[in-house]
Amino acid sequence: MATNIAVPIANGASADSAHLLLEDRVWLLRAMLLMRGLEERAMTLYRQGKVPGSFYDGHGQEAVSAGAAFAMAPEDRLCILHRDLAAHLIRGVPAARVLGQYLGRDTGITHGRDGNVHFGDRNVGCVGMVSMLPDMMLVAAGMAMAFKLRHEARCAMTWFGDGSTSRGDFHEAMNWAGVQKLPVVFVLENNQYAYSTPLDKQFAVDPVERAAAYGFVGVTVDGNDVEAVFEAARAARERALAGDGPTLIEAVTMRMHGHAAHDDMKYVPKEQVEEWRKRDPIDRQEARLRKLGADVDALRVEVQAEIDAATEEALAAPMPDPASAVEGVFCVGDAEPLGDGVPRWSGFRSAGAAR
Amino acid sequence: MSSSPIKTIVDVTMPQMGVSVAEGTVVAWRAGVGDPIAADETICEISTDKIDTEVPAPVSGVVAEILVPVEATVPVGEVLARIAVDGETTSTAPASAANGSASAGAGASAGAGAGGNGADAGATITARRAERPASGRRYSPVVQRIAAEHRVDLSQVPGTGRGGRVRKQDLLAFMESGAVEEAPLHIESPYRPEPAATPADAASPTLSRMRRQIGEHMKRSLETAATCTTWIEVDMSRVERARVLLGVTGLAFVARATIDALREHPALNAWLEGERYTAHSGVNLGIAVSLGDDGLIVPVIHDAHELSAEGLAARVKDLARRARAKELTPDDVRDGTFTITNPGQYGSIMATPIINQPQVAILDFEAVVKRPVVVTDPDGNDSIAIRPITILGLSWDHRALDGALAAQFLASVKRHLEGLVAD
Amino acid sequence: MTQLTYLQAISSALRDELRADERVLMMGEDIGVFGGAFKVTDGFIEEFGPDRVMDTPLAESAIIGTAIGAAVVGMRPVCEMQFADFISCGFDQLVNVAGKMHYRQGLAVPITVRLPSGGGFSGGPFHSQNPEAWFMHAPGIKVVAPSTAEDAKGLLHSAIRDPNPVCFMEHKHLYRRVKGEVPDGVFETPFTARIARPGTDLVVIAYGAMVHTALQATEDLDGASVEVLDLRSLMPLDEAAILDSVERCSKVVIVDEANSTCAAGAQVAAVIAEKGFESLDGPVVRVATPDVPIPFSPPLEQAVLPSAERVKEACRELLAY
Repeated sequence: MATNIAVPIANGASADSAHLLLEDRVWLLRAMLLMRGLEERAMTLYRQGKVPGSFYDGHGQEAVSAGAAFAMAPEDRLCILHRDLAAHLIRGVPAARVLGQYLGRDTGITHGRDGNVHFGDRNVGCVGMVSMLPDMMLVAAGMAMAFKLRHEARCAMTWFGDGSTSRGDFHEAMNWAGVQKLPVVFVLENNQYAYSTPLDKQFAVDPVERAAAYGFVGVTVDGNDVEAVFEAARAARERALAGDGPTLIEAVTMRMHGHAAHDDMKYVPKEQVEEWRKRDPIDRQEARLRKLGADVDALRVEVQAEIDAATEEALAAPMPDPASAVEGVFCVGDAEPLGDGVPRWSGFRSAGAAR
Repeated sequence: MSSSPIKTIVDVTMPQMGVSVAEGTVVAWRAGVGDPIAADETICEISTDKIDTEVPAPVSGVVAEILVPVEATVPVGEVLARIAVDGETTSTAPASAANGSASAGAGASAGAGAGGNGADAGATITARRAERPASGRRYSPVVQRIAAEHRVDLSQVPGTGRGGRVRKQDLLAFMESGAVEEAPLHIESPYRPEPAATPADAASPTLSRMRRQIGEHMKRSLETAATCTTWIEVDMSRVERARVLLGVTGLAFVARATIDALREHPALNAWLEGERYTAHSGVNLGIAVSLGDDGLIVPVIHDAHELSAEGLAARVKDLARRARAKELTPDDVRDGTFTITNPGQYGSIMATPIINQPQVAILDFEAVVKRPVVVTDPDGNDSIAIRPITILGLSWDHRALDGALAAQFLASVKRHLEGLVAD
Repeated sequence: MTQLTYLQAISSALRDELRADERVLMMGEDIGVFGGAFKVTDGFIEEFGPDRVMDTPLAESAIIGTAIGAAVVGMRPVCEMQFADFISCGFDQLVNVAGKMHYRQGLAVPITVRLPSGGGFSGGPFHSQNPEAWFMHAPGIKVVAPSTAEDAKGLLHSAIRDPNPVCFMEHKHLYRRVKGEVPDGVFETPFTARIARPGTDLVVIAYGAMVHTALQATEDLDGASVEVLDLRSLMPLDEAAILDSVERCSKVVIVDEANSTCAAGAQVAAVIAEKGFESLDGPVVRVATPDVPIPFSPPLEQAVLPSAERVKEACRELLAY
């Protein structure tokens, strides 16, 4: 039953956002291409034994992180999930450092202390996720709480999956945010499976409907349409800054790869994968841009060059010093504050358009 | 199972106890013909130029033949005895005594070899237990440490703890009562406190084997080397403070300073064998250890340059203990590049040590004695002060070096000892 | 100097911090209008308002999780668990999110979690626990446990000003029973041990309420000179102070009110065994609560919590050893 949620949305026509210039649209595609290309490269490195541990990716879900993060201002704060690499790239994390992170190098965001997409670059306003999902919903709510207490026009955003909605922290965060009317945007990345568990074993009621029970707005968007996701996030941010409280955005998408590299996904019907492949978010944005006359081929070449250069740089980077394994558990001296991200959306550059 | 096992005979040979050792003398047999013996169990004791040691049986089995009688000296590699091994035992891995006896006696359990190991281990433990002093007293770590530092014989300390246990306060009270003599400035020496000298007329009719060997070595050294001796006075104030602080011996600091000086003057860290002169970069430091009436042995701290004073102290302690327990292995006495002799505890202040061939020098460290000395303050004013002083003596081989180098070397040792920073 | 109870000292530290630093805020269940289950924040909401003395939903994970979020964007939240026992509901946020944050991404999490802990008043299995060892075992979290009014204030100031997550174990049984002179104003007590009473024959190492038990038990012990070392901080553990006491006294009794296995005192014993072995003149003796939930009925509870009598007996035995 729960899979029914996806069908009407995904079949719906793409909703072009009125708030996007051509350069924004190109950037959205660029972020998705970079995410996919980096993850494919990392997967190759994983198969070559160069990436240790497990490997997770967000193939097919690129629009969810790209669209939502694009709507966040530099001073907003993000807790990004492991299938949302595009959000990191939009915030300004260099591709070489992402690969360094996968490779366990000293140049990775966590200097080898954590792997794959388990990171948050504090320099660009991100707080890294933990594996206990959705713990970061509470952290995001807490950041939003501080913004509200200090009367700052900022918001927090976090991503989490369909499986996360079963945990207590989902309830605690939704309730807390609702009670305190916090400027927070919850992005529920409904990718049909939590590891191997399908939606109908996860919940009896579509989680987006639960938003009402907590006293705030819940919207469902086509998670494979990057501009639709952007528009939902932009609107949610506007509500947050206006003091109208949190928003739950359910972005309906599909996890096109296994839970991790070792997962052959045999529990997913082939037809389901084929059906979703037709709605690939990159293909759709590319078609949209070609129609608008953008030079997508040049963009692809540029992105590929960036990935190649980043790979070379990451592979040349040193491994962390083993002696550093016991350092940095505690903060000594002054705490380093979170920095701001890079403003990508043109709306942040044209005064008053978004703020 | 019931067929009689085929016997294999394994030889026990005179071991090579050091590169230059050519022969050895059987001192005692621990097992007789027909006795079962387990692999690694001592079959006999031997004495060589360099070391007295035990010969472990190479396999488990029964002693089939003894070919060399006690007191006989034979070349290295000579067969001393033969052990008959059960044919089914094909490896020389340790097997059990039980296995050996089974094959020698009734074929009660030809396959009991594996099970026998447990019994063997048990026997070893029992034997070790039996070695513990009959007093059976055990001491806590702190009591042992204080007793060692102050040379207290714990068997003399009355205990008031549970079951007469010696507690820390018992030991402190004992020491406070004056039962322990004030420790002299420099008391530590690997020389064992010796019992009162036996009257000469009660001495044994012939010299011991070790005594004879030492004599021959010393005489040969004097005949070979052009021995000269140079002395230097050293203010040991800093060493005295440091050794109390670190709880290690003065010898350890002298050893450390000597090593530093040897690294600066590698010409003294050398061998002269006939025409062949070899200077070494690493220091294998020999420390003379008295075995009381039995004589003297020089175990070697290999790669001593890599050790701190504390590390050296621990190694000296360990080697001295093992020397007295006759547990030194051939490796422990070979390849020394320089030797320190240290008979300091009796108050003698100078000696002319004899070089340990083929080395080219030997350092003698005697008592540290408080003396009035002239000290000069930073303003250049002289005054008399009481300082712990020792005289270090260096015997060196004029064939290998000249007096100036010997003096420079001693000055370097002095500089290291006087410049010591204690922490 | 002012004479304050342990509880008043905690309140005083919180009030001083709220006044001194606008980044500080209190979060917890019933701490605002009601003033807290133990009245630690009584009257605070009137002075500081509901934003800074926040009555939260009944959600420990959310209290700690949102505090982490607020902390990483510059606030200094002080969370109150109504009872230390309830920290189990917020364990994940504290251990996985807060504790690992700085190590993974260099991001400090300056939060203080106040944990009213300990038994002795028929609180039963869910209102009497001493969960400090859980957090000593989790990297990245500091754990302090004051025994006196002065330390309650000084350690709390230090905890709030520390850039790391700090579990502040405040012993409920001491709230109104312990009184003492407390310096006025803000002062920071270091996370180190303190000699509660010097001695030479034996040292009792304890923290929190057990410091008082230890002092009482050894006040008159057949003339023996007994030292009492108050650890004050469990993570970091003041190994130098522990080893110094052991070196001087050579006999050690370690008292925990917590369940025995892997308690703070077990770690102290391990440190002594490893680094103080050569100073020992007897076995390291531990007195702790057996590995049972804290029972409700007074005779049952008294049977398991370490009493002055039990500590005294352990000391006598060891002194005679």
